[in-house]
Amino acid sequence: MDSQIKLEFEDVKDHRDAKLVRFIGDLDATNVETVLEKVFALLCDGYVNIIADFGKLRYVNSTGLGILLHFSKSAQEKGGSFKIANVNENVYEIIEIIGAMSLLQIYDNLEEAMAALK
Amino acid sequence: MGQLRIEVTQSEAAPEITVLRFEGDLDNASIRNIGSSFQLIIEKNSTYVVADMSGVSMLSSAALGEIMGGRKALVEHGGDLVLACLSLPIKTKLTLLGANRIFRLHSDIRSAINAYKWEFEGKSEVFTLSMPPALRFVPSARQFASRLAGLKGYSRRDAFRIETIVDEICNNAIEHAPADSKRNVALTLSIDRRKVEINVINASDPVKLETLRRMLSGAKEPPQPTIEDRRGRGLALVKLLSNGLDIDFSEQGTRVHATKLKEE
Amino acid sequence: MAIDTANYQFCVKFPGSLEYIPAVRKFVSETLLANNFDPKFTYRSEIIVDEICNNAVSFGCVSVDAVVELQCMVHGDRIEFEIKDEGGKPDDLKRLTEAVKKRPRKGSPRDMGKKDSLGLEIVRMLSDQITFETAANNLTTVRVVKLREEDGEAEGDEAAAAG
Repeated sequence: MDSQIKLEFEDVKDHRDAKLVRFIGDLDATNVETVLEKVFALLCDGYVNIIADFGKLRYVNSTGLGILLHFSKSAQEKGGSFKIANVNENVYEIIEIIGAMSLLQIYDNLEEAMAALK
Repeated sequence: MGQLRIEVTQSEAAPEITVLRFEGDLDNASIRNIGSSFQLIIEKNSTYVVADMSGVSMLSSAALGEIMGGRKALVEHGGDLVLACLSLPIKTKLTLLGANRIFRLHSDIRSAINAYKWEFEGKSEVFTLSMPPALRFVPSARQFASRLAGLKGYSRRDAFRIETIVDEICNNAIEHAPADSKRNVALTLSIDRRKVEINVINASDPVKLETLRRMLSGAKEPPQPTIEDRRGRGLALVKLLSNGLDIDFSEQGTRVHATKLKEE
Repeated sequence: MAIDTANYQFCVKFPGSLEYIPAVRKFVSETLLANNFDPKFTYRSEIIVDEICNNAVSFGCVSVDAVVELQCMVHGDRIEFEIKDEGGKPDDLKRLTEAVKKRPRKGSPRDMGKKDSLGLEIVRMLSDQITFETAANNLTTVRVVKLREEDGEAEGDEAAAAG
């Protein structure tokens, strides 16, 4: 049993190549593979624009951050994007202090993230 | 990276495990060599194999198919093939091909060997907590025990029982320690596939020790709800939930040891 | 109980495997919260513990039976995390030395290719001091100090003493 993380998926209205993914729990070294598998499945199914809702993501460590950067890079390579919304202040601080702000697309809320979809 | 090199060795820590190290490209040109390696391993009657993938730079579908064939042959001989040390790109490739559902993946060789020892040699994993003798430290300790039990395949019910056992024994240790004690309480959990052994050691208060001895000698029946029995109920509960309970008393310290067998 | 509410320590020893780290970090964070530490301070401490444990397991455990020991020492003005492992290969020690010595600016873009030092970078950003030492038998100890004042922790012990 890994540190608990759950992903929930929703379609994005008017964007057939996009998916909303809600992250719930903690993202760390013990569960990145599970997350990797699920998100890559989406990318391979043509959902190249992913909006990650971090509203219920309590915790992320450096391994988790590494995987988010990997998603961002992979989505861009497929002509899409990996956007993150509703980041809590603790997770935000970690992203900020390691200087990953410029490498990830972060939005205050889901509406802004969705509006930024092409 | 280029041409594939294959190295076959026996693990020093577990000689029954063969470590198969790949270095280079696992591509269509290397299929024959991959197949030969598995054949050689099986001929040597070695059936449990850990593939060290740290040196793999490229993995083709055909090569993966050959590796899966190798695993199938090992399984038919009562063994297995697990993969270790995969880089992120190779792990991604495996995931896309669905192979992560077939192979057990480990972050390193050491984890793979430990997983084998856990499953086939009854290896136990030992955890020790040391905490000040104050009740407010107990909840996090019992939750630690519960999480570990769940992690190692114990049912929710078992994990809850283990949590309760730890809680009651630790509470008891703290309540029966001398009032001026600063000595930390030591909780040890030894977990294997069949049981969890819980040991709690703390400083002894000679006066309270005598009370404890009397409580334990009488606590054979389910607890009766009286004010005087308030503390005795805890250890009575431990007796009911565990499969064994023993206590060593001495002026140097008290050790409470409980065993909880895994519910099948 | 007569324990010193301002100075105490608790400790966890566990087998060197990544799978146990979530339970270890949660034990530490839940213990800190139970001792009236500020939630933000606790969260940052949890990250520190997670990263140093990950580092110890990934780079400081070589033998199959390797064990990691984490000590948390609470003082009036600071908390110290000390983690011991059996020591890694010479390259790992070199990497550890470099990671501990470097001090990039907070928020400056990182070389994300160097994933394995990201954890220690985060620890350095969240703490006030990080040092390490290696004994003759390769036993490695990493020590991280986090001051309490800047996170408003001064009230924590008074509340603990009252409670």
